[in-house]
Amino acid sequence: MLFVVFVLYAALYTIYAGFFEWDGINDKVFVGVQNYIEMFTTDHAFFLSLRNSLYWTIFTIFPQMFLGFTLAYLLNSHIPGGTLFRAIFYVPAIVSPVVVGTVWQRIYNPFGGFLSDLGFAIGWRFLQQPFLTDFHTAIFAVIVVNVWQWTGFSMVLYLAGLQGVPSEIIEAAQLEGAHRWQIARKIVWPMLRHVHLTLILLGVIGTLQTFPLIYTLTHGGPNHATEMLPNYIFQEAFRLQSMGYASALSVVLLVLCLGLSVVQVKFLGARFALNQ
Amino acid sequence: MKVGRRYRVLDLAFLTLLTVVWLIPLAMMVAISVTPSSQRGLKFGGLLISGVSAENYAHVFRDTPVLLHLFNSIVITGASVALVVAAGSLAAYAFARMRLFAKEFWFYLLIVTLMLPIPALVVPIFRLNKDLGLLNSYFGLILPYTALGAPFAIIILRSFFESLPKEVEEAALLEGASRFAIYWRIVMPMSWPALSVVIIFQFLTSFNEFILALVTIDKTELKPLTLVPLLYADAFISHPGDLFAVLTIITVPVIVVYVLMQRFLISGLAGGGARA
Repeated sequence: MLFVVFVLYAALYTIYAGFFEWDGINDKVFVGVQNYIEMFTTDHAFFLSLRNSLYWTIFTIFPQMFLGFTLAYLLNSHIPGGTLFRAIFYVPAIVSPVVVGTVWQRIYNPFGGFLSDLGFAIGWRFLQQPFLTDFHTAIFAVIVVNVWQWTGFSMVLYLAGLQGVPSEIIEAAQLEGAHRWQIARKIVWPMLRHVHLTLILLGVIGTLQTFPLIYTLTHGGPNHATEMLPNYIFQEAFRLQSMGYASALSVVLLVLCLGLSVVQVKFLGARFALNQ
Repeated sequence: MKVGRRYRVLDLAFLTLLTVVWLIPLAMMVAISVTPSSQRGLKFGGLLISGVSAENYAHVFRDTPVLLHLFNSIVITGASVALVVAAGSLAAYAFARMRLFAKEFWFYLLIVTLMLPIPALVVPIFRLNKDLGLLNSYFGLILPYTALGAPFAIIILRSFFESLPKEVEEAALLEGASRFAIYWRIVMPMSWPALSVVIIFQFLTSFNEFILALVTIDKTELKPLTLVPLLYADAFISHPGDLFAVLTIITVPVIVVYVLMQRFLISGLAGGGARA
């Protein structure tokens, strides 16, 4: 019941409101598909937010998968301090993104931030750039933070997946004289196909709902350089009071998410799966 | 798997190096939070400290009712976790064991909505809360968090319930036990691995949720902890110590919960919680 009201009604309401120009207070004015025409033809911020979503997907998911897999593979053997290593890599994933954003803003600060001080100390002056306020580097600077935050989560999913890989197979390969990175690449990696798919999927969902990091690090700026759909929706709806346009943007986001869920059902079936 | 000694040392060196890099942001957060405000010119972005003081924490507890905000977070998070577990497990049990009208259709609908991110629904949920008079109320957050968390809980729990042996339940049915008694006394106690996954995920998403809290709760005394850093946004330059003390305080509860629950997490994920 709750679910029907808050999810289904809300989704339908958004589609309806997307056809109006509306400040949330005065009467709605019906404008048909005008909002969508504006979005796809003249709205540069909308274009940037789509581009950034693409960057975000590619540059967070794959580094996270490789790094997460490597960590999980190393930590799956009985290494001293393994539990501690796991905990440390995983902690960023549970820390509030608001906290993460605020701390990293300080790290990137060209005046007395960690990177800048480090650059000064070891003579790498390029570290002293204002990464977050430069139009060309800002989105990548934010993506780095996201990778830092979520790599430990990939590691945990791979660790869970590795428990389903029978040790006989690995031992047999070792007896045949295979190097352990050969085993990792040729045997273990292909066996974890379900984990890869799950991570890619969760990564895309994560991209589509990225808000607090953007909000605390850059507010989508400079000049929409780090704009993503959630932040754009938020700014339009609650800062510029243009609820109609924000609803139309939400519809685009909803359509992307629904498309994604169709893909999910096709590739993974109705469930998330970590072992076969 | 067996690893040679030379590799083990290399592994440890690699892991240690990466761990140190990974820890920098959080270490810096704690370091700045204990640096007294009389110290100007932080070294290495504040990572190197020369004196420890609880002064910033004293400021924060004096200026902000932190415990009240923590209480708000606990009420909102606790209620949504309890509701998701109760409603989610009942629904999942019905999906797993009972005949329902159009069962697969409803389940498919749940999977589709699993992909819906809060930002896509923030505008309509805001309107809905406004119309229902739930702005500036705990329920304005508890109800949507529950509605949005339920699909994940149902999907995870359904697959776990289906993996449980049917025989015990059938025997109990023959003995005259009611469906609810079976669910409550037999199924639920056996389902800790899956339930803990649901609890952890629901706790983390509700506790750290930001965008909906930002637009729903305007009254300072009702704000959950995630919104508190914004109250200190102006302190970024003048009193970084206070801001970072706030961030540290927010981070402590999630770390505590994680430490308490972590032994369930990997086993829960691997042991059927998310298995196909």
